[in-house]
Amino acid sequence: MMLRRLKYWMESARRSEALREEMELHLAEKAAELEAGGMTPERARAEARRRFGNLGLKQEESREIWIARFWSELGQDLRYGLRTMAAGKAFSAVAVLSLALGIGANTAIYSLMESILLRSLPVADPESLVVLNWRSRAPQDADKEWVHVVHGVQGVLWPADDGVLETGMFPYGAFEMFREENPVFSTLFGYFDGRNKTLTVRGQATIASTEYVTGGYFRALAVSPAAGRLIGPEDDRAGAAPVAVLSFTASRQRFGEPWNAVGQSILVDNVPFTVIGVAPPEFFGVDPAAAPDLYLPLHANLLVDGARAARMYSDRNFYWIEMMGRLRPGVSLAQAQAALAPRFHRWVEATATTDGERARLPALVLNPGAAGLGSLRRRYARPLYLLLAMVGMILAIACANVANLLLARAAARRREMAVRLSLGAGRFRIVRQLLTESVMLASLGGAVGVLFAMWGMRLLTSLFARGQENFTLHAELNWKVLGVTAALSVACGLLFGLAPALKATRPDVMPDLKNRRGGGPRRRAQHVLAAAQVAFSFLILVAAGLFVRTLGNLHSVELGYARENILLFTLPARQAGHTETATLYEDLRKRFQAIPGVSSATYSNSSIIRAGQAGGAYRGAMRAGSVAIEGARVLAAGPRFLSTMQIPILAGREMDDRDQQGSTPVAVISERLARTYFGGENPVGRRITFVDENRDVEIIGVAGNVRYGGLRRESPMTVFAAASQAAPEQVTYALRTAGDPLQYVRSVHEIVREVDSRIPVTNVITQAAEIDRTISREITFAKLCTGFAVLALLMACVGIYGTMSYSVARQTGEIGTRMALGAQRGDVVWMVLRRALLLAAAGLAISLPAALAASQLIESFLFGTRPNDPATLALAAAILMGAAILAGYVPARRASRIDPLRALRHE
Amino acid sequence: MGRKPQKNESLPGSLDMLILRTLSLRPLHGYGIIQFIQQSSGDELLVEEGSLYPALQRLELNGWIEGEWGVTANNRRARIYRITPAGRKQLAVETRNYARLTLAIARVMGAE
Repeated sequence: MMLRRLKYWMESARRSEALREEMELHLAEKAAELEAGGMTPERARAEARRRFGNLGLKQEESREIWIARFWSELGQDLRYGLRTMAAGKAFSAVAVLSLALGIGANTAIYSLMESILLRSLPVADPESLVVLNWRSRAPQDADKEWVHVVHGVQGVLWPADDGVLETGMFPYGAFEMFREENPVFSTLFGYFDGRNKTLTVRGQATIASTEYVTGGYFRALAVSPAAGRLIGPEDDRAGAAPVAVLSFTASRQRFGEPWNAVGQSILVDNVPFTVIGVAPPEFFGVDPAAAPDLYLPLHANLLVDGARAARMYSDRNFYWIEMMGRLRPGVSLAQAQAALAPRFHRWVEATATTDGERARLPALVLNPGAAGLGSLRRRYARPLYLLLAMVGMILAIACANVANLLLARAAARRREMAVRLSLGAGRFRIVRQLLTESVMLASLGGAVGVLFAMWGMRLLTSLFARGQENFTLHAELNWKVLGVTAALSVACGLLFGLAPALKATRPDVMPDLKNRRGGGPRRRAQHVLAAAQVAFSFLILVAAGLFVRTLGNLHSVELGYARENILLFTLPARQAGHTETATLYEDLRKRFQAIPGVSSATYSNSSIIRAGQAGGAYRGAMRAGSVAIEGARVLAAGPRFLSTMQIPILAGREMDDRDQQGSTPVAVISERLARTYFGGENPVGRRITFVDENRDVEIIGVAGNVRYGGLRRESPMTVFAAASQAAPEQVTYALRTAGDPLQYVRSVHEIVREVDSRIPVTNVITQAAEIDRTISREITFAKLCTGFAVLALLMACVGIYGTMSYSVARQTGEIGTRMALGAQRGDVVWMVLRRALLLAAAGLAISLPAALAASQLIESFLFGTRPNDPATLALAAAILMGAAILAGYVPARRASRIDPLRALRHE
Repeated sequence: MGRKPQKNESLPGSLDMLILRTLSLRPLHGYGIIQFIQQSSGDELLVEEGSLYPALQRLELNGWIEGEWGVTANNRRARIYRITPAGRKQLAVETRNYARLTLAIARVMGAE
């Protein structure tokens, strides 16, 4: 509709201009004539005007004629279109449905993209926000020695693909330096991830994700509180009264109402704080990937995180605080970069102590901060673009489908068109009528598509949210998304409608008045469209095949431990205020083990699959005798760990109740470690030295290898150190259960509450789900792509079916003749089927090189299979051919049932 | 110019017919049409000249005439209108109606 209006206005402007020119000419000629009759030029001009009448009024009248005509024609077109749509209900239903699926899928994916990649932070003037980052050369020397001014970090470093380090963490000194007399920023504020803290409200402990923020944070973001007040500069000082701000959701969960929270006392990791206010509901901090429950002043970490926090403020080589600034009005990002980069360079140069460090100094990089931090974008940009490409192809298939249907119908309406043309209807007028029809179809498809999209977005959000505790993104339909959908619908309508409309009104329609069944080019167009559908479907099928195989490969990875019937949950006892954790953990273990239906219970510092991500039990150097052990991981494991997890014990024994805090430090090592560092000898009784902790552990057994820290990695060498002797901060319990593990959750909660209600039970999950969580992206892809592939295949089938049905209908006479001349039914079936297969084969032939090239693009998403996996390609081709046979068989059968006599009589 | 010519107000819609008739003889631009009507009516009919243009738009929209940019006898750029086959049919219809109407009026006026 929009496009038409636009076209109309452009045309009307042109028309008005022409009209004006005509009228001017008229006046000039009249004046010339009068002048020739003896009038003075002035009088002649005035007389010409007088005789002409009211110039403006006449112009207006002329324009009105056009406008009225436009609306009445549009009304006609719409009414006519509705009649046509109603007349062909099956046609309209198929067209609208396939468009709705295509547009719906696109809308859903686009809305997700919009929420992840394109939306701005919900704060005032997000465009002026700038994120401070730095880049530097790879921090490792040739001998893998760490040489860098960054001596320590609190947070995660992201080494880029080429080994370049890029991060937003800075030493506190840099923050102070930038804050002083900054010429380009009006404000500068800092923050850092406080991770999960134990939040105790009225004796009930829960886990709360925490963000430490500087005093200028809320003011700079121009956020106003939902209740109370927010953290200000006076709160962010060593020795200031301990205050906290809750997120809106957290205040509702813990206090019922935001206002109830203000003034209340809470414990954060057992340190008392007073809630002074609640953030507004839409505010989620500066990182769209995380939504903190709790905001604390930066300097409150001195109270909560203890001694290690003090060093963070003075150490100029310790990188932790992240920063954002607001550009002063009129200052561009490039100007800010030019002003600040040299300042940072001078500052950081002074912190380098060796030439090696000076050779790879960090260089300041300013990035736009309107959309917040980039972590989500980093994680989802590629998958989303991939999905968008797929749904784009689905929409293309849908458009081809509808174009194909329209072509078939255009043929059926050729008589109608011929009659209308011969009666003097303008070709443009008829094309416009046909386009109105197709845009109507597309708009209806778009409207239904929005319904599909709403359902699809819920599905997508839940698929993407899998495996994330606080998934913060909720794709929603907003005007931007709806606008894109509307534009897409209209574009589709014009795209698939134009060619059939032009063809239907080709001037050489006269033969059609004679009702002949003939005409080559239109069939060719249909065949091209059907083959294109097959080609697109093949691409999607191949992708789906590769993702399903990847998932299958990941699921069949030899874990080395039990996947089913294990319940996992985490207890952070130390955060809840316990200093003597070993006996507490052991006491709890015994209680859990006594739950009826639990056959054994154990614990470790992390679940096996997530170990390493959550921080190992020990990360320093290790030695076996005088030999340094490289690449081994340490997991602190409690008694009966191996038998609970069903990890085979190959030699010696596992940890049990004998291994107490005071007894000989012991460990079990994995078979790979034993083979690599102890060769053929039995390692039981030998020792491993934890160099940094300056202690030896005795090897008491050898266990099978386990997939540790992710499914994609090879099983690394593992040391299972006795947890009672390693004192982990928090432990993850594993209960081996009879039946569904989740039915024991209630008993677990009861036991923990009995022992100490201040300890929260978190991350309750089954082992199987915990493992799936690490491959949530692969699961999402496999599911989505399978759905897409089914959709694409269905539409391609409809395309082939339509094309074949149509050509059978046109060739009734020919087929009748053949049959009259002795062709068997089988011959006729084969004749039609062969054509369907040829179509599919042509599509495949086009698509195969494209698939080979395109599958390289998804290589990084795959596991255990190569992009050009021949089996997958063959399977996809076979499925397509099968579908083509199926789609071609119905018309083929119909062709074989043609009665030669009737067919020939008709001819 | 002696007697003031009569304005064409007596027969609404007859301007369309006059234009079609004029264009059925040869393609003309707007001013040319006016000139032709006035001259061939012996200056009896004076068309309000501005009314010509809405009428031309209307006729063109109905597909009875077609306008194209061309050059006038005085070598000036102008939209030259020509009648279409549909326009000729319409002219025939209107001529018939007009004939019926004038005949009817003549009968009334003659029946004393």
